Amino acid sequence: MAESLTKSADREPILQVRNLVKHFPLTQGVLFKKQVGAVKAVDGISFDLYRGETLGIVGESGCGKSTVAKLLMNLERATAGEVFYKGEDISKLSGRALKTVRRNIQMVFQDPYTSLNPRMTVGDIIGEPFDIHPEAAPKGDRRRKVQELLDVVGLNPEYVNRYPHQFSGGQRQRIGIARGLALNPEIIICDEPVSALDVSVQAQVINLMERLQDEFDLSYVFIAHDLSIVRHISDRVGVMYLGRMAEIGTDQEIYEHPTHPYTQALLSAVPVPDPEVSGARERIILSGDVPSPANPPSGCRFRTRCWKAQDKCAEETPLLAVPAPFKDTDSPAAHDSACHFAEEKDVVGAA
Amino acid sequence: MATATTPDPAPDAGAASPALLDVRDLYVEFRTRDGVARAVNGVSYRVDAGETLAVLGESGSGKSVTAQALMGILDSPPGFVTGGEIRFRGQDLLQAAPEERRRIRGARMAMIFQDALSALNPVLSVGTQLGEMYEVHQGMKRKDARAKAVELMERVRIPAARSRVGDYPHQFSGGMRQRIMIAMALALEPDLIIADEPTTALDVTVQAQVMDLLADLQREYDMGLILITHDLGVVADVADRIAVMYAGRIVEHAPVHDLYRAPAHPYTRGLLDSIPRLDQKGQELYAIKGLPPSLTAIPPGCPFHPRCPRARDRCAVDRPPQYDVAPGRTSACHFWEETLRDEEPPHDR
Repeated sequence: MAESLTKSADREPILQVRNLVKHFPLTQGVLFKKQVGAVKAVDGISFDLYRGETLGIVGESGCGKSTVAKLLMNLERATAGEVFYKGEDISKLSGRALKTVRRNIQMVFQDPYTSLNPRMTVGDIIGEPFDIHPEAAPKGDRRRKVQELLDVVGLNPEYVNRYPHQFSGGQRQRIGIARGLALNPEIIICDEPVSALDVSVQAQVINLMERLQDEFDLSYVFIAHDLSIVRHISDRVGVMYLGRMAEIGTDQEIYEHPTHPYTQALLSAVPVPDPEVSGARERIILSGDVPSPANPPSGCRFRTRCWKAQDKCAEETPLLAVPAPFKDTDSPAAHDSACHFAEEKDVVGAA
Repeated sequence: MATATTPDPAPDAGAASPALLDVRDLYVEFRTRDGVARAVNGVSYRVDAGETLAVLGESGSGKSVTAQALMGILDSPPGFVTGGEIRFRGQDLLQAAPEERRRIRGARMAMIFQDALSALNPVLSVGTQLGEMYEVHQGMKRKDARAKAVELMERVRIPAARSRVGDYPHQFSGGMRQRIMIAMALALEPDLIIADEPTTALDVTVQAQVMDLLADLQREYDMGLILITHDLGVVADVADRIAVMYAGRIVEHAPVHDLYRAPAHPYTRGLLDSIPRLDQKGQELYAIKGLPPSLTAIPPGCPFHPRCPRARDRCAVDRPPQYDVAPGRTSACHFWEETLRDEEPPHDR
């Protein structure tokens, strides 16, 4: 199944993101607000999402991955760039047209404790999308639909009158997923859907999401900082750093044949739950912190922490493309990577 | 319970010197409106100088409460230590006078908290907070304390320490703040450090830096380290021994390599199977069914039995003792032998 999905070149993408930019203005003054700069949260991101696949987006905090999620949902207005849903640019839609599109793109949030209204019953929470899109379910039919959804996500349909505080974290996340499914969307944007959950519950929710994807032919954009989980669930993975995409490819290309130094450092820093493996692994420990997105470095954004950085990196912004040495080869290293000095390196130690 | 419990995993009878820290049969409960929450139910472990013990568990397993009881910073009420001993270099801390405990806390055992931003005082500069350690415990003058603060910041590798000593916590990044927490814990060169999820709030690249630093400093000062975490990955890199906690009890206690190679408790096995691995793409993840129990209503017998694939009738009534699996290794499972051999459970429940 994963095999057929990776061969996505011949299929039409369901979502195309082109040069997406979001700058948040920094202002000074109380009465006469003067813009003194901008936080460049997302600064030129492009990718495609195909039907039925999971695209993982990983990166550290502040890299802009959650802003990307909001832009895809049109919860934030993009400063520049386009998001095409089935060929139509949705980034500039508003009103009724936006509402129609949103029915097909839903979101599951990170924190199951704050993303559910504590004063609403589970039935009202899951049924609320039907109030906004009445055409999705006739009035008399809603209760039955809500109970069906509860059943689909593995909760007892009789819980429909309970409140969120009566559920555990994992169960709440199931409620959030049920709400996301209510309108039968084609795309679900998941922003750190399991990072607030305990390890033993995480696996339950991940398995549920995979089952639902097969059942309803969903496409996921799966945003997370946990690289192991992203590998598990994703068909393709994009690595973000400071508002830009550093590298993007299939899960195997990214994890076993990374060519961007940031991806390599990130992967090598992930602790592996096996002392035999982790002792034998080479660790790349980066120095310093991620620079501020209000004042990003010139050229390659990663150069201030990169051990390979040269003058060229400060002067010339590397493009996200297949690096020259791997161009026109069958090598798994031949995937998009934004580095002037891209080199293949196996840091995960996969056999 | 009817069964006899075997003694602590590491009895120090006849040992030449007492352990750095020896916790025996510790009980902690919280008396709340909704009933008594039994957070810690007979926990025993020991830590020696230069050694790292990882205490692993999910939220509500009692791992942090144990640490708070050790440090004597349990919110009381509602929290009460209702039984057991905490021996620090042979001295039972639970019997010590409050002033004595205060002297030990900070100076000889120190704690690193998970969330550095809320653990540090936002209205005092980091230099003042670090210097306070010396002023309070050693009666040092403010100016000298300030100089010591700079020294500490350099030791935890904060760049430009001299110019940043007057900065406030919010001016530092998450990783830098956690270094300041570490610096504060190290200030008086304690014998034991308890780190409660020290890297959970940090990004992976920064997490690696901080764990590295902690390991270096531990080696340098020959400290004992108790690392409390829920992350099986972090533990694998740094721990010597692991104690896995579930519902306020230690269910398995083992040297790190043994535990990962062949877990002797079904809960440990389940945890290891339920995490996706970076270096391999598996099929469906194993999921432990159900939820951790409420601490106000811990199941009788083995607390894990309602979720356990190996559970039999006996497990629901007979609370398992700490069985000796090997020297220095215990498991609280009646069927640890078949778990260790990873046999198929006798029937599908």
